[in-house]
Amino acid sequence: MTKPAFYALLGPALVLLLSTTYPFLSGIYTSLTNQKLYTPATKFVGLGNYINLLETPLFWTGLANTLTYAAAALAIQLPLGLAFAILLDVPGRLQSFFRSTIVLPLLVPPVVAGLIWKTMMHPQSGVLNWLLAQVGIEPLSWLTSPHMAMASIILIDTWLFTPLATIILLAGLQSVSGEIVEAARIDGANAWQVIRHVKLPLLAPYLLLVALFRVSDSLKSLEIIYSTTKGGPLDATRTLHVMAYEEAYRWSSLGKAMTIVFVLWLVCYAISGVLLSFWQKQEAKSHGQ
Amino acid sequence: MANRTSRGLPAKLGLALCYVAFAGFVLFPLVWIFLMSIKNFGDIIAYPPRFVFAPTLSNYAEILFGSEAERASGQVPDLIKFLMNSVIISGGAVILSALIGIPAAYALARRRDTTSDKLRFTVLSFRFAPELVVILPLYVIYSRVGLYDTYVGMILVHQLITLPLMILILASFFRDMPIEIEEAARVDGAGIWTILTAIVVPIARPGIASAMMIAFIFSWNNMIFGLVLAGGNTRPVTMGILQAMTFDQIKWGVMAASAMVSAFPGMVAAVLFQKQITRGLTLGAVK
Repeated sequence: MTKPAFYALLGPALVLLLSTTYPFLSGIYTSLTNQKLYTPATKFVGLGNYINLLETPLFWTGLANTLTYAAAALAIQLPLGLAFAILLDVPGRLQSFFRSTIVLPLLVPPVVAGLIWKTMMHPQSGVLNWLLAQVGIEPLSWLTSPHMAMASIILIDTWLFTPLATIILLAGLQSVSGEIVEAARIDGANAWQVIRHVKLPLLAPYLLLVALFRVSDSLKSLEIIYSTTKGGPLDATRTLHVMAYEEAYRWSSLGKAMTIVFVLWLVCYAISGVLLSFWQKQEAKSHGQ
Repeated sequence: MANRTSRGLPAKLGLALCYVAFAGFVLFPLVWIFLMSIKNFGDIIAYPPRFVFAPTLSNYAEILFGSEAERASGQVPDLIKFLMNSVIISGGAVILSALIGIPAAYALARRRDTTSDKLRFTVLSFRFAPELVVILPLYVIYSRVGLYDTYVGMILVHQLITLPLMILILASFFRDMPIEIEEAARVDGAGIWTILTAIVVPIARPGIASAMMIAFIFSWNNMIFGLVLAGGNTRPVTMGILQAMTFDQIKWGVMAASAMVSAFPGMVAAVLFQKQITRGLTLGAVK
């Protein structure tokens, strides 16, 4: 394909996608002003918003919540997703049924997932506390207690997104060629040994891909929290993305909201940039083979 | 081989338990909300929860045909309006993305060099930015140019979801297609546009259909864009459900039925396009 043809075909898509740099840059400018949402009278304040933000204790709470959420989501969903993937990698009719059900949570709107779990987590009439009571565990306050709310949000996130980890890792397990597996079998390896010594070592790029998607998504998670706790109780689930939304719409301080969003964007950009470059290296290595 | 047959009963039982736990965790919430959607009010608030009850379709009737008061006054039920908005926005967004995304994906698939790879990663990187970084400033811009709360504005902003999806899924799909027919056509003097419209698109129709379906679901499932950029005229179904929830805390059955209806496109896609969904969810990074 010639270069002019290449750019002609790509042109409209590139123009559309790159046109987002305008709102992006105008957002950076907004973060340097005291702009309000509904009144245009705006003053340039330089780095004032950023300095104020760093001096606000709630910002550090929000940053800690954001990082806790992302770290916990990855620490739980990576091993759990791998365990699910190994269970589904076993050939069989039951497994093939489960392979088709595993994607269901991923296609539920996150807002709806939030509402479903909020219903189930209702402290008095929720089905989860009833289930706990059946095995003799005291009822939990789930989303309504500051100590449990973040854990409950992470549980919802885990239900919704562990399947993503599972299907990526399952694709990885199944990408190992049948010949290698067969050779190991002939050498006397059992099913578990094949997974442990043949398949897992080849899984590195897939594990990185899971980390990339899960970390970057959970750093900016908003919809689950918005449909359940809205950041409460007592700021226990107030992440930076939720803070930014609140700042814009509850306090209508667009300048301050953009400041928070840009700090979050920098965090996302740095972390996903590192993971992306690791993954690219792995990809290049496996393509080179 | 000997190992497999000699595996003890406890191990088998343990494995079976793993499958049960797995299925329970994944499916229980969906089954539970479905049951709630076909319960009457008494069965919903009953404690201990009822697993056996007389099912009713009244919750669905209320959201789809309106409450008695709404029917009497000839009003269109809110959820129907929200559903229509979502169909227009997500449908429009996917069609626009197909028109400009198919040529782009084809270009990325058939010219492999560093520029092409860089562009692919640029498209991928759109997924990693927090949405508000673009849509909060867009709110100001949209308000100024009159795109706030319009279908055109919503369809344009949904390109941020649907266009990268279409481009990356289809680029990975086109790359797997044999290039021979295209090369033969080129030898016969066909231009790139003819090759694309007369040969590639017809062959790739199933791949294009599944990419469009997946892009549609992701656009449909999104709430944040509607939260910031849609008002009373274009509010999508994911926003509508939240709104119903805040005003009407007690109507659990209606909430559950609305949740089922709004999750419906995703459920259908999960069954129909299970294989392609992995590729879609990972933006073509995994086949």
